[in-house]
Amino acid sequence: MTETASTTTTAGQGVGESARRPDAVLKVTGEFAYASDLWLDGMVWGVTLRSPHPSAWIRSIDVGPALKIDGVLAVLTHEDVPGVKFFGLDRRDQPVLAIDQVRYQGEPVALVAADHPETARRAAAAIVVDYEVRAAVTDPRQATDVVRHQPVRRGDTFEAEVVVTGEYEVGMQDQAFLGPESGLAVPAEDGGVDLYIATQWLHVDRDQLAPCLGLPHDKVRLTLSGVGGAFGAREDLSMQVHACMLALRLNRPVKIVYGREESFFGHVHRHPALMRYEHGATRDGRLVYVKADILLDGGAYCSSSPAVVGNAASLGVGPYEVPNVRVDATGVYTNNPPCGAMRGFGAVQACYAYESQMDRLAEACGLSPVEIRVRNAVSQGSRLITGQLIDAPAPLAGMLRDLESMPLPEGPPATDLRALPGGVSQTTRGEAVRRGVGYGVGIKNICFSEGFDDYSTARVRAELVGGEPHVTVHTAAAEVGQGLVTLQAQIARTELGIANVTVATADTAVGSAGSSSASRQSYVTGGAVRAACEAVRKRFDGLPAREALERFGPIEETREYRHRPTYPMDPVTGQGDSHTQLALCVHRAVVDVDVELGLVKVVELAAVQDVGRVLNPQALEGQIHGGSAQGLGLALMEEIQVRDGLVLNPSFTDYLIPTILDMPPMQTKILENPDPAAPYGLRGAGEPPTLSSTPAIAAAVRAATGLRLTRVPIRPEDIALFNNGEVSDGKRT
Amino acid sequence: MKPFAYVKPADVAGAVRAVSDEPGAKFLGGGTNLVDLMREGVERPDTVVDVTGLPLDTVDQLPGGGLRIGAMVRNSSLAADERVRARYPMLSQAILAGASAQLRNMATVGGNLLQRTRCPYFYDPAAACNKREPGGGCDALGGFNRSHAVLGVSGSCIAAHPSDMCVALAALDAVIEVESVRGTRRIPMTGFHRLPGDTPEIETELAPDELVTAVELPPAPFAARSRYRKVRDRASYAFALVSVAAALEVRDGAVTAARLALGGLAAKPWRAHEAERILLGGPASEESFARAAEAELAGADVRPGNAFKVHLARATIVATLRELNTGKGTA
Repeated sequence: MTETASTTTTAGQGVGESARRPDAVLKVTGEFAYASDLWLDGMVWGVTLRSPHPSAWIRSIDVGPALKIDGVLAVLTHEDVPGVKFFGLDRRDQPVLAIDQVRYQGEPVALVAADHPETARRAAAAIVVDYEVRAAVTDPRQATDVVRHQPVRRGDTFEAEVVVTGEYEVGMQDQAFLGPESGLAVPAEDGGVDLYIATQWLHVDRDQLAPCLGLPHDKVRLTLSGVGGAFGAREDLSMQVHACMLALRLNRPVKIVYGREESFFGHVHRHPALMRYEHGATRDGRLVYVKADILLDGGAYCSSSPAVVGNAASLGVGPYEVPNVRVDATGVYTNNPPCGAMRGFGAVQACYAYESQMDRLAEACGLSPVEIRVRNAVSQGSRLITGQLIDAPAPLAGMLRDLESMPLPEGPPATDLRALPGGVSQTTRGEAVRRGVGYGVGIKNICFSEGFDDYSTARVRAELVGGEPHVTVHTAAAEVGQGLVTLQAQIARTELGIANVTVATADTAVGSAGSSSASRQSYVTGGAVRAACEAVRKRFDGLPAREALERFGPIEETREYRHRPTYPMDPVTGQGDSHTQLALCVHRAVVDVDVELGLVKVVELAAVQDVGRVLNPQALEGQIHGGSAQGLGLALMEEIQVRDGLVLNPSFTDYLIPTILDMPPMQTKILENPDPAAPYGLRGAGEPPTLSSTPAIAAAVRAATGLRLTRVPIRPEDIALFNNGEVSDGKRT
Repeated sequence: MKPFAYVKPADVAGAVRAVSDEPGAKFLGGGTNLVDLMREGVERPDTVVDVTGLPLDTVDQLPGGGLRIGAMVRNSSLAADERVRARYPMLSQAILAGASAQLRNMATVGGNLLQRTRCPYFYDPAAACNKREPGGGCDALGGFNRSHAVLGVSGSCIAAHPSDMCVALAALDAVIEVESVRGTRRIPMTGFHRLPGDTPEIETELAPDELVTAVELPPAPFAARSRYRKVRDRASYAFALVSVAAALEVRDGAVTAARLALGGLAAKPWRAHEAERILLGGPASEESFARAAEAELAGADVRPGNAFKVHLARATIVATLRELNTGKGTA
């Protein structure tokens, strides 16, 4: 083979290797070009005027005072939307700019373009909007407008020897990604527009954009710009239509960049949840039935709430064998901030509740937390509560045993303050500190479910460049920090045996790759890249790459890849093969709690995850650590505080996410039981750790304190008040 | 942001003159607070007088053992100063417990004294806030008030003072030196900040045209044994839910000197005079510490959202005094 030299270089860069990320050093050194760094000579700045009220009629909008300000080029309202005035992922229910009313605080009402962002901000503030404030629906229990109600019904035995019930609550979490929403719209000579944008899903952006702009799809071209992170928050449109509207109106490039505060109003959040569960079991801890009511606050617009509700319903009892089930998951409209996609997508909230229930059941049956889970664990051949057969490996019982056998960390070292609750704040020298250990199990669907036509497209071109074989991989798949660009190149190297691979910038010049969400891109875009590479390799006609390319010239192939079809859930019984792949992660958390002050130090997180096949060990570890950290945040500190529809902490000063001091070391064990249906046998890995770390930490804090702790995030007062003999909101045991 | 003029005088006389000529002027130190507030539209100065070029950036020895800290000394420099670390450890610890290294590198001592509350309603120009707009009402009273004060509050305002540094300065009997076109005057730290009463918009005794030029720390041998403890929602980068600055001198089992100040739970950096009175001359015992804490917190005016702070404060006061007394955490 003439490629010996090249294949040698690929050895460290193919599938299964920790290939080096092109963006890693740039991000750490601050040189990475985020979408907010986009720049074109002659560009102007767009700013959005937003509603200060969660619910109001708009009597009038006077843009006159804004137009009088020097440097202001345009002020637009809903009347200026060139095409369809609504957009939305699932239902087109969200106005591009408010029409006659606003339904949440922060809803876009008008746009300003000016020659300087500060001028545009001042002009936006000068617009006079006459609001007639009306009552806001902010309690989801009072909401009457249902986005989706999905029941799951199975069996008819709802009596058991042991019954435990509980009510649980999950606060509103933010994705808190790096690099707030940003994009640059450039008008094109053909009357269309080119949008450079930090997004998760170029084609669905275009599908919503083009009608709003009144343009055919081919005149709306999107190119991915530098994305910091996404976690679901970039799946909905933010400033895309706004920037394009202004650019087309002015025939000049228009840039819109949100600041961090505006970002909190500019994207959807994780649905807060109110949940009531009843678990029935035999005395020896085998589940007989589960009843669950899951209420998800979808906020003012639909976004992806229907699919979130579907996940909460189908995965609502966790990865356990349950013969009898009555689950009702409901999403409602309110005047709270719109909620939609966030890592874990409907499975997170339910996981916190059902795992809390499993611990109560363990206690009631006199079993250990691991034992109760092992006794009820699904495995290959089990059925979900939707009746769907688990036809791939699901070795949950073994994963739990593995986790249990991992060594526990040592007791608190008195010498290192960072290891104690409160850390360097020096709030304790070890007095009043109690240790707890807890377990959590999560199950997440990978890829889109419920009959969605879920696919990706890859174009792969092999050619000689300077006499050397070279591959270009082109997809529309969004690199959102997860390492997809790296992985696409790894696949091309492995499949074609060619070291030099360029991954072209993602754009809409190639077919859709679907969303960078649902832990699906390795599976679907990975599958598409592999299929296109295979097609190219076939045309090598058995020759080594260099020889083939010398003889045949450049070879290019485009392939679409689809996973196995899924099917809708029955609207009455919830039955149906709604998922294509399921992934498991289990966590053990060890915490030290200062029971006097209510401060929690997570000492260690240990995780076992079955990923089918490891494609990039370092990237995978990163996903497990990152997902666990996001779950830690939900367990202990992350919550958007909303009162009467108003967001009170839209900043990273007040919305707290874990720092490196809060995140403990991790032990991980990664299993590779391949899924025969998936490329390379892989199993999506990004979301499952986010599910299971939250309940594991909550369980560990319960073990340390003896408190019920039925709400996350757990705050110091939920613990400290009990220790003083006072009851904190009925959360006492 | 509202447009503003910017001047950067080279000397103190020039700085105070710039402000006396211009009622809408504000001094700018490190900008870590003022610029944020200007972005939010909470502060709207016509002129910003940048005082970071003034020669007020040294820490000097005073005759008799005290220190004179220039108002432009950066928070990080002050925390790292060997004399501060040796003689007033609570001050060094308090500063290091605040904000991030990047912010401490920018923030000045003078600016930290004038730091404004982190009350979310104060920060939101659409909300009712008597501090931001006198007479406008207070949304915090019946709203989200978990972070708010329980001591020194009024029916007009329950905002908590956010500074860590100021808590230590209050405990140490610091004196603030200020200058204006009318001359120089000295204000004791414990009287520098005002309680909200009916005028929460007036936060200090400082006249609008007065510039903080220095902070003097009197000699306090007992402060070499002092401690700052801070309770917060995460391990770093968070405001205090409750903090305690304490110094304790014990001879033959009796308290011969005690200093105690509280942060995070009061409308101003809270010097715990009542607790000190009980401690002084009494036994250095767990019971006495608890009694002092109870007495200081007896007047707490709590709301459902922030009642827990009283408990945190009690526990933290006792634990800090216990540590100072025994050199250990446990009783």
